[in-house]
Amino acid sequence: MNNVIDLLKKNGIVIITVVLFIGLAVTTEGFFTERNLRNILDQQSTILIAASFMTIVIISGNFDISVSSIFVVSPLFALLVENATGNIYLAVMAGIFIGLAMGAFNAIVVTYLKVNSFIATLATSFMFFGLGYLISDRSLMRPMGDAYQQIARTKFFDITSATWLALIIVVMASIILTQTRFGRNVFATGGNQEAARLAGVNVSRVQAATFILLGGASALAGIVSSSRSISAQPSDDFSFIFSVLTAVIVGGTSIAGGRGAVWRTVTAAFFLAFMSNGFNLNQIDPLWQRIILGLVIVIAVAIDSWSQRKNV
Amino acid sequence: MKKPNSSPSRLVSFDKVNKSFGATNALIDCSVSFEVGKIHALVGENGAGKSTLGKLILGVHKHDSGVIKVDDSEVYLSSPRDAVELGLVGISQELSLLPDRSVVDNIAIGRETTIGPFVSSKQTLEKVLAVMEKYDLYIDPSRLVGSLSVADQQKVEILRALNTNARLIVFDEPTARLASHQAEQLHTLVRSLADSGTVVIYISHFLEEVLKISDTISLLRNGKKVRTGPTSNETKKSLIEGMTGSDAGNLFPKKPKINANSEVILKVKGLSRINEFKDISFELKKGEILGIAGLVGSGRSELAHAIYGNRVPDSGSIELYGKEFIVKDVAHSIKNGMAMVPESRRDQGLILERSLLENTSLPYLKKFTSWLYGLNKSEEYTEVDASCLTTMIKHSGLEKEVQYLSGGNQQKVLFARAAMGKPRLLLADEPTRGVDIGAKKVIYELISQLSKVGEAVIIISSEVEEIIGVAHRTLVMSRGKIVAELSGDEITKTAIMEAAFKEG
Repeated sequence: MNNVIDLLKKNGIVIITVVLFIGLAVTTEGFFTERNLRNILDQQSTILIAASFMTIVIISGNFDISVSSIFVVSPLFALLVENATGNIYLAVMAGIFIGLAMGAFNAIVVTYLKVNSFIATLATSFMFFGLGYLISDRSLMRPMGDAYQQIARTKFFDITSATWLALIIVVMASIILTQTRFGRNVFATGGNQEAARLAGVNVSRVQAATFILLGGASALAGIVSSSRSISAQPSDDFSFIFSVLTAVIVGGTSIAGGRGAVWRTVTAAFFLAFMSNGFNLNQIDPLWQRIILGLVIVIAVAIDSWSQRKNV
Repeated sequence: MKKPNSSPSRLVSFDKVNKSFGATNALIDCSVSFEVGKIHALVGENGAGKSTLGKLILGVHKHDSGVIKVDDSEVYLSSPRDAVELGLVGISQELSLLPDRSVVDNIAIGRETTIGPFVSSKQTLEKVLAVMEKYDLYIDPSRLVGSLSVADQQKVEILRALNTNARLIVFDEPTARLASHQAEQLHTLVRSLADSGTVVIYISHFLEEVLKISDTISLLRNGKKVRTGPTSNETKKSLIEGMTGSDAGNLFPKKPKINANSEVILKVKGLSRINEFKDISFELKKGEILGIAGLVGSGRSELAHAIYGNRVPDSGSIELYGKEFIVKDVAHSIKNGMAMVPESRRDQGLILERSLLENTSLPYLKKFTSWLYGLNKSEEYTEVDASCLTTMIKHSGLEKEVQYLSGGNQQKVLFARAAMGKPRLLLADEPTRGVDIGAKKVIYELISQLSKVGEAVIIISSEVEEIIGVAHRTLVMSRGKIVAELSGDEITKTAIMEAAFKEG
């Protein structure tokens, strides 16, 4: 009996996602079609790319709000380079580079200046958003050539390159977290920072690396998104981080740090995507969609807190 | 105040009480009663059920079956609040005070005297002062709790309990963090509480202490009560036998011989760090076990952390294996053959939510890592398994989280970790704190084994017996300085205590 409860607790997110999937496939017309599922995959790619590495940042015991701003700014920089050189590879590299640089800036503020990561990345968000306006001269930017839109739209085996990129990033993040020394150090740092330090883990370096990686991933997500819409626009839009965070938290990665997994985040991202897709296909008022989404997050976090209490 | 009457009156009694956590039976068919005016000690190894018993009385846990009676009527304590209302309160090992608030605020918390919706500071203070006077226990009410010593903080917590008109106070390991003269003071206070009609339940690992201050002792083993009886019927030996269920024999292994002209592993010269320790010099030979004794706060742990690289000394020098060693960081020290078993396994040692495997191999992952393939888990598994075997950790799988291990086994994990690095210098800070006698024996055996194969060991301990039983040579620290160096037969309890209390 205890084993069953344990199993449910560990794999709860998978079970409800599968149940939701089957439920929608049976009841809702237009859900279980190749086209619809391919669309969901494509739509989720940007969130998956950022959320995979967000999972790592949260496990190490930190938060990163600036994901939204990096998501907005990086494609602007990529397009700036594309417009100047016409070289698509150079453009992507530049976009990712500036993402990594912004991640590094976060890392410095958090690990050297010892500012709480939530506050630090909230503050840097404003700086980065401002940088976006600066780069773009406050206007919408478009690519010069046709190549830019192919970044996300090229199809291999009928599946978009955006989806493939997301798959590669998810697998990469998962391997980094579970198969490497760095991954172990991430868990140790988030689980008990003092113990990790006394075991010889360079805690600051580990945390810094998680921010830099997430900066790069957020930049890639931004580039994919701008390639899909064939434009990029400066803004102060924080909404992307909330979609990313929702996936990580509903997946069951502990916001206290020390426990979590990339596969959980991925499953939760699909759970949320199926839910919203089901709502749309059933033409449920977006008003109710919000309320239910909020409720799901509350339930997920409550379950997490309940199961941790039971462990003591 | 009630006078203890001639016929003992029971305040709390348990009848066939059971409590389990998951598959673990923490308390089995326990029947015991606690009488007014008595100091009732609970004795047992870790996991014997004594803390569980205390927590049932305090409403922290709910019992599964059986009857708990207070004032001879059955009660169901479903929260600490219920217990407090009946006058049952606890003083825990980890104090639960607000460090940034004043003494009076902490004592009166939740019981402030109010006029309408407003707290009357004056009346609240008067009430607190009255309680202080009644028990002859004075602490400046306006001071911030965070600025008090641990002993005074504990007094604040006791005053808080008394301010709630407590009739029963559970002390769970109250002296674990106190220096011995502070412990003496606490004993006097506890005695006076009992004399004034309070029931005292005293949970402690220190058997001498229990024998000295209690009236009644209940002995628990594996969740079952073995016996309850007057303290005068017990001796240290009878308690140890009762706790372990067998003759414990000699706790300490024979000290391995050290060669007088063997190589010097560590040479510390004039090491200082402001406000922590000053002008520390000593040498440590291959195979030698060096004890560092002294009061909590005398700079012992700080010194160990400075050698280990967790903090950098201000001045002075360290030689390791005859070469100058510059303290950089922990990783650098580990690379140079050091290992540490830190003072607090929960706060500084273990990542509780991670597996035994990951906890043990954490400092030495580099060994199993290649750039191309990442971690070689099977190699890691083999080595960790071997290390856990030599340290005799009882576990149900290397992939199980360490939080499910008993305290003694958790402590052994730290030794398994240290052993994996095959260190040449081991720094063990309070290596047996909060560990039962069985595990203690294993740990002493391990330390002795390490020194036999030529490792140098520094052992820091507040338990004088431990130092006497294990160390070849002992340094006594007081106020950041070394005040005595004792070796061989000079290492006695009186010599250590005298030095520790000497004004530095």
